[in-house]
Amino acid sequence: MPTPTLAALTEEQQLIVSEVRRFVEKEVLPIATELEHRDEYPAALIDQMKGLGMMGITIPPEYGGLGLPFTTYSAIVEELSRGWMSLGGVINTHAMVSWMINSFGTEEQKRCWLPAMATGEKRAGLCMTEPNAGSDLQAIQMTAVRDGDDYVLNGTKMFVSNGVQGKLFAVLTKTDPRAQPPYSGMTTFIVDKDETPGMTVGRLIEKLGYKGIDTTELFFEDARVPAGNVVGGEEGQGWYHIMATIEIGRINVASRAVGVATAALEDSVRYSKQRRTFGRPIADHQAIQLMLADMATKIEAARLLTRAAAARKDAGERADLWVGMAKLFATEVAQEVSLMALRIHGGYGYTKEMRVERYYRDAPFMLIGEGTNEIQKLVIARNILKMFGE
Amino acid sequence: MPHIICCVKQVPDPETPASQFRVDEAAKKVVPVPGIAPVPSQFDTIGVEAALRIKDKTPDTTITILSLGPESYRDSIKHSLAMGADEGVLINDPALYEADHWVTAQVLAAAIGKLAPFDLVICGRQAVDWDMGVVGSTIAEILNVPCITIAKEIQYKDGQVVVERVLLDGFETAESPAPCVVTVSNELGEPRYPQLRQIMAAARKEVKVWTASDLGLDAAQLKNLVSLERLYVPEVKVETEIIDGETPQEKAEKLALKLREAKLI
Repeated sequence: MPTPTLAALTEEQQLIVSEVRRFVEKEVLPIATELEHRDEYPAALIDQMKGLGMMGITIPPEYGGLGLPFTTYSAIVEELSRGWMSLGGVINTHAMVSWMINSFGTEEQKRCWLPAMATGEKRAGLCMTEPNAGSDLQAIQMTAVRDGDDYVLNGTKMFVSNGVQGKLFAVLTKTDPRAQPPYSGMTTFIVDKDETPGMTVGRLIEKLGYKGIDTTELFFEDARVPAGNVVGGEEGQGWYHIMATIEIGRINVASRAVGVATAALEDSVRYSKQRRTFGRPIADHQAIQLMLADMATKIEAARLLTRAAAARKDAGERADLWVGMAKLFATEVAQEVSLMALRIHGGYGYTKEMRVERYYRDAPFMLIGEGTNEIQKLVIARNILKMFGE
Repeated sequence: MPHIICCVKQVPDPETPASQFRVDEAAKKVVPVPGIAPVPSQFDTIGVEAALRIKDKTPDTTITILSLGPESYRDSIKHSLAMGADEGVLINDPALYEADHWVTAQVLAAAIGKLAPFDLVICGRQAVDWDMGVVGSTIAEILNVPCITIAKEIQYKDGQVVVERVLLDGFETAESPAPCVVTVSNELGEPRYPQLRQIMAAARKEVKVWTASDLGLDAAQLKNLVSLERLYVPEVKVETEIIDGETPQEKAEKLALKLREAKLI
């Protein structure tokens, strides 16, 4: 039964949520913790997700996708992440890159890449961060130099989700390293790993949580990429592409946070009804009830904010203020709620026998991924200051 | 253009933890568990899968989902539509909410008659709540068509139905001309998950709603044959006895003796 919520769902969304939940209950939950503890790539689950159409959720029907709005995407990501946060991550950069191509790519680029992305034949990753540039994205050092009909790319990208399994990568570069302001010299390329000698996958990065998913370094050493792979066909637009696209990632991360927090709450409710102290279930104790009330209220607020932000993106507007708020709030809630869940589970919560330890390790990733929460606060503050004029 | 009708019942989720299962002995009813939604009966969903496998081979097949119950049963019909079925019919009549297997079969048979022509009716071998396993064969009796039970595979070709049946000690193949009723078992295999595209299509499909009178039936004249005398959760008593002995051999001998006394070995 879907989580009771004030969030309004259409009949289509209700049906999608209940079917995705059925998939998660039957296929994901029985194996997620074991795979997570082994840090094993969930190949069979991802194949099933491809078969169900989850790689084409937001890709328009004319390119083989489903054309669903981001409000539905958010509900799907939430359900997947309620089972295992990493699965919500699998489709994140894929959805971001497909949206970027659809929003800013030429018609030829859309026809070239989107159909294979919609089926999951070609999964995508996003390469922004570098060893010395994350939040300060304009400080990236990766270069792309025009050479005849190609560009030659040199540099290293860090923390690339889907780095091993992905085929297509949106890569942010500097085509004019001397440009001022620096963002005006930035360009995004779509790079097909299989067709790009000079592009190699580095080590798998071990993480506290967000396990099972291939997070890697990617190296570009004189990697030749056709000029036709510049997103939109025009140099100098990369920064704008990335900033608009990252809003999709922030909707995804906020939705994942709501999913993880919901799982933590549901496990806590069940456990508190079973576990007895002082002759009665701990759910009867006020100390536990106070935590459950805080958890449920904050999760619902996070869900409503996330869905509302997604709806703003669906309206076709820049939504950095609203998705920034959703990402900030929902991920802080996930962090807080997963700790409360651990406390409710007591000593058992600290063991690997209970799922809450997984939630507790997964939550911090979301404080950082797709822009740290400190960056979200800057985005929010700058928007608010601008709203009120000089 | 084959027409297959699948009967689907909605039941309490069998995955409900036993600790949460309750019955109201006075009302003789199972108490729904808050927060756990009812689900389509597992064998009925396998029946839909059987129909879809026929449709996979014969794409012009039409699959109609038929269900008898309150408005909430729409969820199970929509799930079947999302799996790939074409049409859904819900018989929703408060006068029929307490129907036993006999009345259920009469109502479903009347609805199948209204949906005719049909080639095949597929039911689960039993509903996973009451486990009586009689509705499918009773429908066949009322419709006066052959019935093949407990199928692990159904093939349909040119008006002929070939069924591989599960026996206690193996399998047998049975054939029948269409139309007929087939009940399916879990040996048929796992039902498919609906693709998002099909879920979207299912959301747009309208479910027809009929009452007893739409079927030409007078609900007041439909009398249950079965009356429920008592509904209760049986008490399970567990007694533990520790077999003691100096050596493992001695313990094993004593255990064997106990088991023999209890006629267990």
